Amino acid sequence: MAKRAVTKRRKRPEVTPHRHEAGRCLHILRELSAFIDDELSDGICGEIRKHLGACPRCEEFVASLRQTVSLCRRSPAPALSPGDRARMREKILEAARAR
Amino acid sequence: MAPSRHPHSSDGHPAASPETAETFDTLYRGHVDLIYRYASRLCGETEAAKDLVQETFLNAYRGFKNFRGDAQISTWLYTIASRACLRMRRRRKGAPERELSLDEFIPTSDGEFRLQIPVEGLSPEDALQNKQLREALDTAIGKLPKQYKMVLVLRDMEGLSAKEVGAIMGLNERAVKSRLHRARLFVRRELSARGLAEGTATHQQKAIT
Repeated sequence: MAKRAVTKRRKRPEVTPHRHEAGRCLHILRELSAFIDDELSDGICGEIRKHLGACPRCEEFVASLRQTVSLCRRSPAPALSPGDRARMREKILEAARAR
Repeated sequence: MAPSRHPHSSDGHPAASPETAETFDTLYRGHVDLIYRYASRLCGETEAAKDLVQETFLNAYRGFKNFRGDAQISTWLYTIASRACLRMRRRRKGAPERELSLDEFIPTSDGEFRLQIPVEGLSPEDALQNKQLREALDTAIGKLPKQYKMVLVLRDMEGLSAKEVGAIMGLNERAVKSRLHRARLFVRRELSARGLAEGTATHQQKAIT
């Protein structure tokens, strides 16, 4: 499958649609989070790397998944102001006493 | 916040003693920033996040005597917050819960393989300086069905282990990893050409209502 995809891309690199629904690519799609989280055995990792080397579209896909995860990991979260912190504390205690 | 409008998990606790109030203050001071960050990431907007924080600490206050110390306090609070969020979302009629299937993430057109937001050659921190990129990411996460969003937020944003996320959500590790994978694929697709094209339509619709 990987070999065929490469041959196809050489012929018509921009036009030929990449058949990700076909066997190998779909199998690899299932494993990609485990792959980027380093949770797979060396054997399976090696197989995936080999496929990626031969399948530029899958390689792009993995890169974009890695980027997505990095963005999530580094995404800033809003902080609470001291005023809000104090107001919320009052409201919580008020509600606790009211019940 | 009007207390009567908020559900509570355990009714009939006696009024708190001053001792409880002191314990509460320690708990609140030590963890309010953590829970607010989690709530903001789950809710996506300030007021809902504040409601969720208040609901979480109110439930923690009332349930503190049931906390046996067999989990970390932060894990216990994450659990209370997650349950409260599920209840609040249901009441607010948020995005309908649905299961994500791997099939829907198989790219079918050229623009879907790479991200269509400027990240190439940039560190994530530098890329996130871009406000539009941050908004696209927040919108993508906001569109996740809530069970998937929780797993993604806890694992990839709060940095918890799959085991800890499982304990919080009552799932085994395998289920956590499966949901995390689908959640990541969902966000990835939302940041591809297809997701951004669809997202613009939804965003405009949202702005009108």
